[in-house]
Amino acid sequence: MKDAKSLLLLLVSLFLVLLSFVLLWSWGFRLYNKNESPILVTSAPASTEKKIISNNLQDSLQLFYNQSLTNLELQLDTTLINSDSLNIEIDKKLEEFYRLRNAIELLMLNHANSNDIRIAKQKLIELQAKVIELKDKNTIVENENKKLGELLSQLKNSETKSGKTISLVQVPKQGIEKTSQNFTGFAAMDLRLSAFSTNEEKEYETLFASQTEKLVGSFTVLNNSAQQAKVEMVVVIVQPDGRVLKTSGWESGTFETKEGKSIYSYKLNFNYLKGEPKHLLFSLSSDNFQKGIYTMQVFYNGTMIGKTIKPLS
Amino acid sequence: MCCKKNIAIIYTISAIYLFPFLGITQTNIIQKFDASLLYAGIEVGSKGVKMSLIEVKKSESYNIMKDTTINTDFISFTQPTYSATLSAMNVLYDIAKSRYNIPLAQIFTAVSSGVNMQAEKENKLNWLDQLINAYQFNFNEPQRKVSIIDVREEGRLSHLGIVPDSRRYNTFLIDIGSGNTKGGYFPSGNITDFKLFQIGWGTKSTANATEKRLDTDKSLDNYYSQLGKVLISAENSEIIYAINESGSYPMSDNVAFSGGIAWALANLMYPELFDNAVVPVSYKEVFDFSEKLYKNHNLLSDYYIVQKLTDKTLNIEAIGKEIKRVNQVFDQKSLMAGTGLLLKIMRQFESVYERKNFYLVKNGSVGWVTAFVTQKTAK
Repeated sequence: MKDAKSLLLLLVSLFLVLLSFVLLWSWGFRLYNKNESPILVTSAPASTEKKIISNNLQDSLQLFYNQSLTNLELQLDTTLINSDSLNIEIDKKLEEFYRLRNAIELLMLNHANSNDIRIAKQKLIELQAKVIELKDKNTIVENENKKLGELLSQLKNSETKSGKTISLVQVPKQGIEKTSQNFTGFAAMDLRLSAFSTNEEKEYETLFASQTEKLVGSFTVLNNSAQQAKVEMVVVIVQPDGRVLKTSGWESGTFETKEGKSIYSYKLNFNYLKGEPKHLLFSLSSDNFQKGIYTMQVFYNGTMIGKTIKPLS
Repeated sequence: MCCKKNIAIIYTISAIYLFPFLGITQTNIIQKFDASLLYAGIEVGSKGVKMSLIEVKKSESYNIMKDTTINTDFISFTQPTYSATLSAMNVLYDIAKSRYNIPLAQIFTAVSSGVNMQAEKENKLNWLDQLINAYQFNFNEPQRKVSIIDVREEGRLSHLGIVPDSRRYNTFLIDIGSGNTKGGYFPSGNITDFKLFQIGWGTKSTANATEKRLDTDKSLDNYYSQLGKVLISAENSEIIYAINESGSYPMSDNVAFSGGIAWALANLMYPELFDNAVVPVSYKEVFDFSEKLYKNHNLLSDYYIVQKLTDKTLNIEAIGKEIKRVNQVFDQKSLMAGTGLLLKIMRQFESVYERKNFYLVKNGSVGWVTAFVTQKTAK
């Protein structure tokens, strides 16, 4: 009797175990089916053949669009990161970019026909062109930044150097005179430009342009930092009309500056010993001197190291 | 014979047609000095007949107001070129006399040494005599004086006409012509003793010698390579010896080059110095330019050169025209040949111990005529 009862209990428990297995399996199956359903290939709608082709094209276009978009967005991101000084322009471009993207998306959402696809393709090309334009702008900005950086570092260096050798530069005698020392170590001082006239073979200084027969310039150069053997300096006399004074081709010529080729009025070649104050003198004759302000600039290695002016009335 | 006659007529007519054209230019003449006299110098050269109008003040200062050339090619010694030369001489003489009202005593005519030498070489001195006689007597004007200049005198006059007095005794002047190179300097501190320098290489003869070596490969690369060989040969056979023999190295601080190639290079290398008659130059600059000629000749067009000029005070239009003219006269190969020859001569003056100043003279063509006229006026 006892055995029969326990057998019944055993059967019931087995049944319950089986039932739970069945329930678990059916729940698992449902769950499995739920995950699989989105990737199940759905059959093509029973529409026209044309629509199928159109859909296929749309799919390929969608794929192309998605890929392009991913690439373009990536490129745009890098471009945006690098082009800090072109924010306003980039914002505009970005607006255009998003406008085009939205237009393409709209075309994708509507059931696209071949015309729409053509338009979408066109828009994509436009989009690519815009990104290329942004990339180019960015390169220009990068180059400009590089140049500015170099210029800044050069300025910093020259500032430091001139700070160290400031004692070399004497206080100018004339108020209008400017002296400086370039990074090569030469300083020009005591710059003087005078006008001379000749009367009975005697020369005298004049302030009048009509009486002037020649301009005589002088200055002193000093260099304590480096041993120089042969030195070449050029003098530029700018006339009141802005032209460089050239008395004859034997004296004037061209020289290179940071801004490019310039014309000089006179070239001075001399031997130099370190620390020696060298006084230099030159004269330029002309048949016709204009009224106004003459500017004398002294250049060494393409850098201006001194400047003074001379007015003639 | 019939054709030759026709050519003679064409040459003559073309020379005569220049008369009214040249007449128009007189209005452009602006005198530089207040109290000055106007002189005319007519030169019969190898390539053509040239006239220079020179304003002289007290036999000391002068100003070249105008120079004009009519190409006649007299040294071909043919009837057409003879007739054309004679017509050109007469036309220019009449312009000086009638249009510019220059007194006959102030018009000087001279035959250059190149013409005389070529006539001697080809036994054609009678052509030269006939030309002078026809010029003097065809119009019954025996007062038209014609002088034949020898090479030394031409070199001396060139120096006097081109180099300023302040640089008279420390400047070696070298004229690189088409067929030869000549020049010299004053070694003794006076203007009568002139040391002549001559070599048988010029721009055209260097280019011709290179062309002869090209064989079937006419490429620019082969031209460049053969030009190097021609120049080495010229340097070793003549240039080194001629410069050493001249004794100019220790005597000269300045070396000035005139001639067509100097004019061309001065304009192409320094367009911003357009109004300079002379431009200073260095060996390195000419060397760099020769490389540019070979590798980037396109960059020497008037369009590119003018585009690079940023100075607004420059006469861009005139510069462009002059560069165009240079490129019409000298093609790439001629420029390469002339520049190569110039470099070989410059190299003899390059030293680590002493720096010579080099110059390119643009107005060398009027140099000796100017001096010829000014010397005549001084007398």
